[in-house]
Amino acid sequence: MKKIYNEEENYSELLKDLKNLPKINAPENFELNLMTRIQNKNFGYSEKNKPQFSWLKFLTPSAVVVTAVILFFIFLPNSSEINIPVTNQQTDSKNSIENKKQNIDNSKNEINSTHDIVKPSTPLSIQENTASNARSRFPINNPRAIKVDDYLSGSNTNQKEISRGNVVRSAEEPAEINRFFIAENPDRLKLEKERVRLDSIKKAQAKADSLKKIKK
Amino acid sequence: MNKPLIELTDEEVIKEFQDNNTLEAYDILVKRYKDPLMNFVYRFVGDRDICSDIVQDTMIKFYLNKDSYRSFAKFSTWIYTIAGNLAKNELKRRRRRSIFSINNSDDERTPQIEDKMYLAPDRATDSEIKNDIIQKALIKVKPVYREVVILRDIQDLSYEEISEITGLAIGTVKSRINRGRSQLQKLLKHIYRE
Repeated sequence: MKKIYNEEENYSELLKDLKNLPKINAPENFELNLMTRIQNKNFGYSEKNKPQFSWLKFLTPSAVVVTAVILFFIFLPNSSEINIPVTNQQTDSKNSIENKKQNIDNSKNEINSTHDIVKPSTPLSIQENTASNARSRFPINNPRAIKVDDYLSGSNTNQKEISRGNVVRSAEEPAEINRFFIAENPDRLKLEKERVRLDSIKKAQAKADSLKKIKK
Repeated sequence: MNKPLIELTDEEVIKEFQDNNTLEAYDILVKRYKDPLMNFVYRFVGDRDICSDIVQDTMIKFYLNKDSYRSFAKFSTWIYTIAGNLAKNELKRRRRRSIFSINNSDDERTPQIEDKMYLAPDRATDSEIKNDIIQKALIKVKPVYREVVILRDIQDLSYEEISEITGLAIGTVKSRINRGRSQLQKLLKHIYRE
């Protein structure tokens, strides 16, 4: 208490002047203005605090959404360009099945019409179809392909000494395959059979080479 | 036994206004507090027009929110709290405006304290000049200190009342008053020799 008293004593002059500052009074029309505001319900202050609808608040997020949608449609790749290999394969297989059915129906008709001659057209046509389908599904570069028999007998017209391994080299060029295939797990038995087959081919090739030399 | 409204205490008058929505009761309270509030807000903000608007808004707030007043508090502290909050909001608004203002010169932002020596002698009397200088110095004191100094040294309120108005502990009120006075004295050192 003593301390406060001392402090007040320090500022005694200042405190005296502050107390003697002239009192500010409200303007004469203060009450009249206030009552008019109340009667007219012109509560400016409370209206200021009310959350008001503003176009800016509404338009900003909507503009963002609209631009996002527009950009999505601009940069969206054409749906027709999208190829799904699995579905393509399915359509291929469906087509082949339908072809087979048609062929079978045709052959039945032929059989009915002739009654005498039994033609093996149905299995052949199916085989041809399956072969062509297989070719279409696994397109091999035909001009560069080598027949194994021709290659072994040495009568291959397509191939020269330089172009050995043509098929392998062709892999460096852009592949003609325009789709993906479903990978299958290799069968061990099949692989061994294939290995044995290749070994026998190599042996036969070696024999053929030695015979050629003898002939010469 | 019914006393006329004008003879009742603030708390009794506001009770009447709360219970019966008597405009006369409201009018009596407006008459009692318009000048003290005007003085308080003017010393705090330093602008007559703005201070008049703030006091009007205070009275409107009191009219609209009369039921939020609880009888355990003094009416004077309640109405001073409303006015003080509105005055502080006004200061914040001004500060924001001055930040985004293009003409943001220091001269506009902080009022300069005129030196007594440079004022023309025919302009005003000595006491008027002094009062002007004190008011400008008061505006330069930090708002947290300014508020309590005005309430204590100009409005003559007790520490307890100031504590209720500001929501601060009495000890904090006292220390803030002391710091405010010290700041003010430093600003007016050419008038008061330390």
